[in-house]
Order: sequence, then structure tokens, then C-alpha cells
Amino acid sequence: GLILLFYLVFYGFLAALFTFTMWVMLQTLSSDIPKYRDRISSPGLIISPKPDTALEFYFNKSDAQSYAEYISTLRKFLESYDDSKQSQNINCTPGRIFDQNDVAVKKACRFNLSELGQCSGKEDKTFGYSKGTPCVLVKMNRIIGLKPEGEPHIHCASKEEGMVEISYFPPEGLIDLMYFPYYGKSLHAHYLQPLVAVQLAINSNSTKEEITIECKILGSPNLKNEDDRDKFLGRIAFKVQMTE
Amino acid sequence: IQDDHKLSASELEEKYGTSVNKGLSSARAAEILARDGPNSLTPPKATPEIVKFLKQMVGGFSILLWIGAVFSWISFGIQFAQGAESPFDNLYLGVVLAVVVILTGIFAYYQEAKSTNIMASFSKMIPQQALVIRDAEKKELSADQLVVGDIVEIKGGDRIPADIRLIFTQGCKVDNSSLTGESEPQSRSCDFTHENPLETKNVAFYSTTCVEGTATGIVINTGDRTIIGRIASLASGVGHEKTPIAIEIEHFVYLVAGVAISIGVLFFIISVSMRYKILDSIIFLIGIIVANVPEGLLATVTVSLSLTAKRMAKKNCLVKNLEAVETLGSTSIICSDKTGTLTQNRMTVAHLWFDNQIYSADTSEDQTTQPFDQSSPSWTALSKIVTLCNRAEFRPGQENLPIMKRVVVGDASETALLKFAEVILGNVMNIREQNKKVAEIPFNSTNKFQLSIHETDDPNDKRFLLVMKGAPERILERCSTIMINGKEEPLDSEKAAAFQTAYMELGGMGERVLGFCHLYLPENEFPDTYPFDTDSMNFPTSNMCFVGLLSMIDPPRSTVPDAVSKCRSAGIKVIMVTGDHPITAKAIAKSVGIISATSETVEDIAKRLNIPVEQVNRREATAAVINGMELKDMSLQQLDEILCNHSEIVFARTSPQQKLIIVEGCQRQGAVVAVTGDGVNDSPALKKADIGIAMGIAGSDAAKNAADMVLLDDNFASIVTGVEEGRLIFDNLKKTIAYTLTKNIAELCPFLIYIITSIPMPIGTITILFIDLGTDIIPSVALAYEKAESDIMNRRPRNKMKDRLVNEQLAVYSYLQIGIIQSVGAFITYFTVYAEQGFLPSTLLGVRVNWENNAINDFEDSYGQEWTKYQRMYLQWTGYTAFFVSITIQQVADLIIRKTRRNSIFQQGLFRNKVIWVGIFSQIGIALILTYGLGHATALNFTPLRFQYWFVAVPFAILIWAYDEVRKLFIRRYPGSWWDKNMYY
Repeated sequence: GLILLFYLVFYGFLAALFTFTMWVMLQTLSSDIPKYRDRISSPGLIISPKPDTALEFYFNKSDAQSYAEYISTLRKFLESYDDSKQSQNINCTPGRIFDQNDVAVKKACRFNLSELGQCSGKEDKTFGYSKGTPCVLVKMNRIIGLKPEGEPHIHCASKEEGMVEISYFPPEGLIDLMYFPYYGKSLHAHYLQPLVAVQLAINSNSTKEEITIECKILGSPNLKNEDDRDKFLGRIAFKVQMTE
Repeated sequence: IQDDHKLSASELEEKYGTSVNKGLSSARAAEILARDGPNSLTPPKATPEIVKFLKQMVGGFSILLWIGAVFSWISFGIQFAQGAESPFDNLYLGVVLAVVVILTGIFAYYQEAKSTNIMASFSKMIPQQALVIRDAEKKELSADQLVVGDIVEIKGGDRIPADIRLIFTQGCKVDNSSLTGESEPQSRSCDFTHENPLETKNVAFYSTTCVEGTATGIVINTGDRTIIGRIASLASGVGHEKTPIAIEIEHFVYLVAGVAISIGVLFFIISVSMRYKILDSIIFLIGIIVANVPEGLLATVTVSLSLTAKRMAKKNCLVKNLEAVETLGSTSIICSDKTGTLTQNRMTVAHLWFDNQIYSADTSEDQTTQPFDQSSPSWTALSKIVTLCNRAEFRPGQENLPIMKRVVVGDASETALLKFAEVILGNVMNIREQNKKVAEIPFNSTNKFQLSIHETDDPNDKRFLLVMKGAPERILERCSTIMINGKEEPLDSEKAAAFQTAYMELGGMGERVLGFCHLYLPENEFPDTYPFDTDSMNFPTSNMCFVGLLSMIDPPRSTVPDAVSKCRSAGIKVIMVTGDHPITAKAIAKSVGIISATSETVEDIAKRLNIPVEQVNRREATAAVINGMELKDMSLQQLDEILCNHSEIVFARTSPQQKLIIVEGCQRQGAVVAVTGDGVNDSPALKKADIGIAMGIAGSDAAKNAADMVLLDDNFASIVTGVEEGRLIFDNLKKTIAYTLTKNIAELCPFLIYIITSIPMPIGTITILFIDLGTDIIPSVALAYEKAESDIMNRRPRNKMKDRLVNEQLAVYSYLQIGIIQSVGAFITYFTVYAEQGFLPSTLLGVRVNWENNAINDFEDSYGQEWTKYQRMYLQWTGYTAFFVSITIQQVADLIIRKTRRNSIFQQGLFRNKVIWVGIFSQIGIALILTYGLGHATALNFTPLRFQYWFVAVPFAILIWAYDEVRKLFIRRYPGSWWDKNMYY
């Protein structure tokens, strides 16, 4: 009996101590930005749609069912970029870092879906999949306070030459500096990341073949893209195989 | 039973086909050698090295770790077959685990081999030579070439090369002490004197030594068929039981393995039922096993034991079997030899009687003067007899040695007298020269006296001085006067009665008494030219003047009484087992305190109350002196009764065979028995004992082989220091284990919480191994250097059944209290690291599946930032490092609190054990190297940690220390209370 009581008190005390210490620790944290950001100094790249099977796209351009999931993923992904959702967002000056350090309420820059051209899903509801020119959206991870230098842009290349023609929206895969820096979830609630759409025009004689595409972020000295261990830091590789 | 001793020489010649004069032919000898094998003892069957090695590979926790390794490989195989991204982690983990097992196995094997080597050095003997007659020629042969029927010649100083039936002897005496324990040399002759081959005088035994004289004999037994060989094989038949510490460690291994397996299986079931994949569940199981098993602990225990063994070796206890270190500490009965162990093994003059008064002499080992009153002229006369009537001489060339250390040619009592005289008078040889000896009759057993006639050193005194010494009653018979204060007075009945009283008193002290008398021969009857003839005795040997008595004893070593009283306060019963006479044995037992001053034997009570022995209530007697003859007729129950009822026991006139019976009797009482021995036939008792102690100087090789420990200085007091060390190491091992077990919980909790709440893994399996085999090793060894908390020689020996090495309190306190505090401290650090990087604790719960998903490279943290898989992994390793550092920091506190179990750290002194600080610095140093030195090589899952995270757990370290101080304070304040019972380990 006594021993149970003892452990009740003992663990009760420890639980209280744990809670208190955690509380104190959490008090020292800001709710806006994490104390340290050194573990994510450079952003990773991801793509959308993201197939379940490790970044490999398999579809038949004449079979709508085979790419239906890609399309619905893309639609969902672009929902937050819909004009109706961006009513509070402002038009920023392109090509310049949009510093809002001294402003209490951080504004989000508008990202017009039209920037994505044929990959915006407006004209072509199938994002090019039905025509054999599938679109893939490339996105750079959000990192608070990151200010890219130079002229960051996405560049993709196929390992196999001549199988695919790649076009970018916005042109040259440019990522506009006006979308940076990011101020964090609580201060920058409506923030939208800039997107780059990559459209792959697969040569008709290259169908049925697996094409490896590697996209990298280029043109910015402070965005890494060659890390040995991290295969997604500033780059991403995926495979596409299209049948007819 | 052989009857060679009954046969005549010619019958023997016939039996063995040999000839006394010509010996065997070489061809015949070779034939017999081929039949019987060489004349050497077969060494006890050794376990093959590879078996010993393999045993180390699977002993203790190794099996568990092997299971872990095999699981790792299995999961590697599955993952590899499935083509997962990083299957090699598990392969490496398996390899690391295997390496850990193999390395600790090699280490344990090496330790064992090292202690066996100490043993091997004893058995290394110079090949013995024997003088043999073969082909009618005398040949020098290696003793192992001897065969039955060989004729061998031996002389004083030789070791007897085989069992030999003597056919010719000349003044031959042998020292059978290695066989029978009797220390007096025994004469040998060709006559058949006893039915029993062991008792008859015409057989000399293998491995005994010939002390003086020469002899020729026929070899009748060789090798293992000799008496010694048979005893040796008897000794190897006596099983050796597990040492107490081996039992304790086994108990502890079972306990920890039990906890590991049950928690492992429990969580395997939980994780399977929580729909984890089987493969993941297996990996969790490996982690739980690794966290639970203190990989480094068994090696640490071995190191601690060998450190103590080293310390004991410095104090003259050479431990052959490491575990015996602790056995000595748990000893509850010591059966000790008398001669050489309790005593100095040399006759020394203890008392003198002259002028009607008994004087005591100094009997200590390093006497340089004698304090008794030497002013009486009687002493002058006595000293002259002592000096002159003595054939013993110092070997030349020892002038610089202390007198007591010099080697003397002569028998034991004469040596004693010579040294005694030398100490008091100085140059004895010079005095003898000045008093030239003109005639001498040496001591013989019919006369029982020794006599010599000298010129005096006074040039004006032309008389001869006749001096005589011998058995006191015989000497007194020859005297008509007695010297009192230098004056000769008639020896009337009153003075004779005084002599009797003194003689009885000295004899009652177990001392060997000699009487001394002299006579100045009248000048007119014995002029300088008088031809003294010792055969016709043409001089008077009666009507002499009695001068005094001297009594001698083999005195106790000066350190022994203190050691015995230490044993007494330590609750250890000391039993003397000796071949000596009961009176001598009892006297020595009394003088060293084995029989305390106030206690009485049955006989003493009978004498005091003046009633027959049978009427005495045996329970009243605390002491007992048991004669070997009585012991022979005793039933086991009677022996048990004696061992039970008497606290002070002396076994006298015991044969070494009876020692075994006594040891077994003590063990039936549940005692841990230490036995000392030196003779070959002590070896069964030495083996049977829980700890056999062989004498390093006097001991035979067989005894040393059978023993667990060798006493380099043959001194009983060294055993007691050994006991102290043994007790200390038991306490310190407790501390070491408590220290080591504590952090197991801090290693285990992360797994359990990870499985249940699905947070990112707080600590990696490899990281755990770095704690167990890296930072924690030196500190846990350092605890072996901790000084005792109180006088450990003031408590009773530990009860084998109750006082376990790892008891419930130790496990519970370490696991459920300190271990939990450590876990809390480490988790605080873990959560701090994650929170400050952007993952608040609330975000972490339940993230495991996505967190570990390789395909998710935009994992969102609490602030909206997105992380790639590798960035998360790196953060996870930072978490490992933080957890590791926190455990290390709290282990420093754990180390400090483990210094004591009862006393405050301040009572013990923080700085008295310097090695602890070496441990602390090494711990922190290794952690620094791992985090900052190897932190960049991520293969080991360490990352350079922000410096402030080292301090997050510091308050918890302080809490651990403060809590433990409170625990100890309550234990000291309220002994016997609920707190004391539950919190003292």
C-alpha cells in the first residue's frame, strides 16, 4: 500500500516537474519563428503530382483513368492558388525581395495561376496528360527568412537525350524573388509559394520508354543543389513513362 | 594394497626382475617404461582452449546479443530483398553487436588465460635428476625415465624420485610433511616396522625429500601409481563448486535477461497489435534488447575483480581464480593450519626459569634485544651453558643479516638456543672459541641429554667446565645442588617442588622445556692433560649444579592475534586444524586469540569444578580442543554438533585427510569455508573448500594447484586483509551494477515511448552501445576503487542466501527511481532540441509514419517550414546526440551518488577516490569527442550539438544527487524503518 502511494507521489512529482520544465521551455520559444533554422538552411524541392510509386509516372495518354489521380492531385494542389482564395493577397514588385520586417501584418504576394500557362489547368483540364505533354509542378520548400540570391530558376534535364522537350512556366522556370522571405505560419498565414510548371513534350518515338528527369534550382548561390546525402536538397529526380 | 614393504630384498629382486647390485638392463627398463609410461603425474585434464573460448562467446548476455545480431541480419535480409532504401543500417547493427560479443568474449577469455598463467608458473619445475643403477653402472637419469625395479640412490637434500622400498640406509631421514603434514623429519631404515605401507619405515615416498643421510632402494611405484599420484587423482575427483560471486552474477544475468526478454516480447506483441509491421516490431525488439543488456558490465566486473586481485597480490594474497577474490570476502569460517601460518615456523625461546622465577623472552620476528632481567649471576651461568652446550652454527658469511634471518646448521631447538644466545651475548662463536671444547656427547634418545666439556675463558681458572642440557627431569636427577642468585644451594625437596611447578607450568603452555646444569671439574682430579673419553665416560655426570630451565615454542606471528580479533569482529570463525599436540595447539590458540582468554573447554570446566569430564554441561564450554583420535570415532552428527555449539574450536593431532571431513562439516552448516594447506594431501580439502589457500613458501606444488589462492608470505594476517578486500569488492560491485543498470531505463524508455506515441526515435541503437561500451566503462571501473563506507570488518559475513549482489531494492531503486528521473531529464533535452528547431512537442506526437517516410520531402513543422527526409534524419541524429549527452551528464550524477549506499557523499569525501574523477573526465571527454570529433561523420549518428544542450539535463542531475542524499539521510536517521527496508540496496 505504502509503496504504491510512494510511487504515486514520486511519479506525480516527476510528471509535474516534467510539465513545468516543458512549459518553461515552451515559454522561451517565439510562436512566430523557431529559435534555430540551421538544420534547414537550404530548401528541398518537391513535385506535384507525387505518384505513390517512388516518383515514377506511368500513364496512357489515351486512357483517362490512368492519369485521373494525377489530375485530381494537381487540382487539389492548385486549389489554394485559386483567385478566390487570393483576394487578400497583394501584387508585389517582381524581381525584388519583399521585405516586411517592420510591418506587423505580413502581406502575401499574389501568385497568378495564369503564370503557369498551359499547366494552370484552366485551358487544358487534363494538364497536358491527354496530349502526351504532361505537366509537373515543382515547388521549393518553405523556409522562414530564406532570401534567395541571384536569379533562382528551375532547370530540368533528361538524362536520355532527345526524348523529351521541356518547357517552363513561368518562362525559364523563374522563381520570383518577391515571394521571399517567408515569415512563418502564424505571421504569414496566406503565404503562397511560387510554383514552376514543367511541361514535358515527349517525343512520339520515345513512348514506352522510361525517361529520367532531374530538376534543379539554379542561378542562386545560396540555394544548394549538389548535396551528397540529401537527394532532395535543391533538386529532384523523377521518371516518366507514357504509353499510347 | 601393496605388500612390497613386507618382502625381503631378495624377494623384491625376484618380483621386479632386478638386481640390487646391477640394476635393470637398459633394454628391460625401456620395455617397462613403454608399459607403464613415464614416471610423472598426469596433469589434470585441461579444458581445450577452443571450448573455453566458445564458452565465453555464449556466456552471460552474449546469447541475448547474438539473438539481437541475428534479428538484425534477418531484417536486413528482408529489407534488402524488398529493395528498401537503407537496409545496410541493420546489417551494420548486426555486425556491431557481433563484434561487441566477440570482443567481450575475447576479453573474458584473455582474463581467464592470464590467471591460469599464474597457475602454470607454479607447476613449472626444474626437471629432476635421479641416480640410478642400470647395466651395473651408476647413471644420472631424468627422474621421469625411472621404472619399477630400478635401483636408485638418494642422499640428503634430494627429492625422492618415486615410491621406493629401501634396501640400504645410513642415517637417512625424510621429510614427509608434504604427504602427512608431520613437520618432524622421520628416520628411515630397511626394517619392516608397520603393516601399513604409509607407516612403515622402509618405504620412502615420491615427492618427499630426504633431509639427511643416504639410502638405496628399489622403485616400487612410478607416476600416477605412487601414493602422491593417487592422492592427486583423488583431489581431481573432488568437485569444485561454483563460487559465490559466480552464482551472484548468474542471478543478476538471469534477472536482467528476464527483464529484457519480457519487456521485449511484451512490446513486440504491443507493436504488432498496434499494426506495426512485423519487421519494424523485430527492429524494436532488437533495440529493446540492446537497451536492456548492460553490454560492458561483465567486462567491468572482470576488470574490477582483477584490480582487486592485483591489490591483494600486493598484500601477499595471490589469487589464481578471479572470482575467489569475492569468495574470500564472504568467508564465514577459516580453517587454518598452525605451523607457519599462525606461527613463525621456527622454534624460539619463550620462557626461562632460574632463581626460582619464570622470565618471559621476546618471541617476535625481529627481536634484537631481550628485555628480561639479566643481572643475576645465575643467568651468566645459564647463558654459558646455552652457548657452549650447543652444536648449531651459523652458516658463514651472514654477518650483515639480522640474527633472526640467518641460516643455521643444526636442529630446531639448538637453532633457537643459538639465536637466543647470539641476540643477548653477541658473538657466540667467539665465546665458544674462548672456551675450547675438549669433549662432547651429542644428544641421543636413550640418554636424553647432551654434554660437553670446555676449558674456561678465565686464564687463572684451570678447571674444566662440564655443561649439560636435556630433558628437565633427567637433568634434575643428576643434580645435587641448584644455583640461586649465583650461589649453589643444596637441592632440597622444597626446591625440587619449585622446579616441578615451573616445569609443569612451562609444559602446560605447550612449550618444549629443556633443563640446564653444569659442573666445574676439580683441577687436581682433572688436569689440563686429562684424557676425556666419551665412550667410557671417565668423568662425573652426577651431583651437578642445576642452573635453570629454558622453554621453547614455535611462537605465533606477531600480526596474527590482531588478525584473529579482526576475524572475530568480522563474524568469521577461525578454526585451527593442526597435526600438533593438543596442549601446544591450545597454547598457541590461546595466545593468538582463537580461544579467547575467558572461554573454557569442557576439560577446563571439569578441572575448575573438580568433576569428571562426563558431568560437565557441554553447552557451557565455548571452546573445544578436539583430538584427531576422537574425531576418527565421531559420527557426522557429533561433528556437526561440535561445529555448531562451540565458537572456538581447535582440532589437534588431525591427519590432513580429516581436514576434508572438517571442511565438509563446516559446509553442512551453510558456511563459506576458507582452508589453508601446504601438503600434497591437503589438496582434497583445498579443492573442497569454497576457497582453498595454499602456502606460497611452505606449500607443495600440488597444494598450490588445488588452491584458489596462494599466500605468498604464509601469514594468516594476509588472509584477513584479503577478506577485507573481498568484502569491499562485493560492496563496490553492487555500486558498479547499480550505476550501470540505471541508465538502461533511460535507454529503454525512448523505445517504449517511441512505440506507443510514435514520436521520432529519440535514441539510436548504436548510440546506446556508445554509452554502454564507451562513456560508462571507465566510471564503472572507477567505483572499484571506492573506499569502504564503514568498517566492513565489523559486520557479519554476508549470508549467501539473503544478501544478494543484485537485490530487489537495488533493481527497483535503479530502474524505477533514478532511471526514470534520468529518462525525464533526457526527454526534456530531446523535446527542447526539436522545439527549438521548429517541432513543438504537440507536433511530434504520432508523426512516426510520415516522419520516417522517404517519399515525404516537404514535412511541415510547427512554423510552416518544410523539411526533406534527410533534413529530418539529421535532426533526429541531433536528437540522439542530445539524448546521449543528457544521459552522460546524468550518469555523472549517478556515479557520484553511487559512491555511497548509506553515508552522505560529504562523509565519504568527494575527492578521496581520485579514480572517480578520472571516470567523470573520461566520460565527458568521450562524449565530447563523439559529438564534436566524430560528429561530422554521420555514420555513427552523432552530430555536433549546440553547447547549451549539454546543460539542459543538469538540473535533473542535481535532482538525482539531492534525492539520493535525502534517501541516504532517511536511511541513516531511521534504521529499520519502511524507508530503510525499501530504499537501502
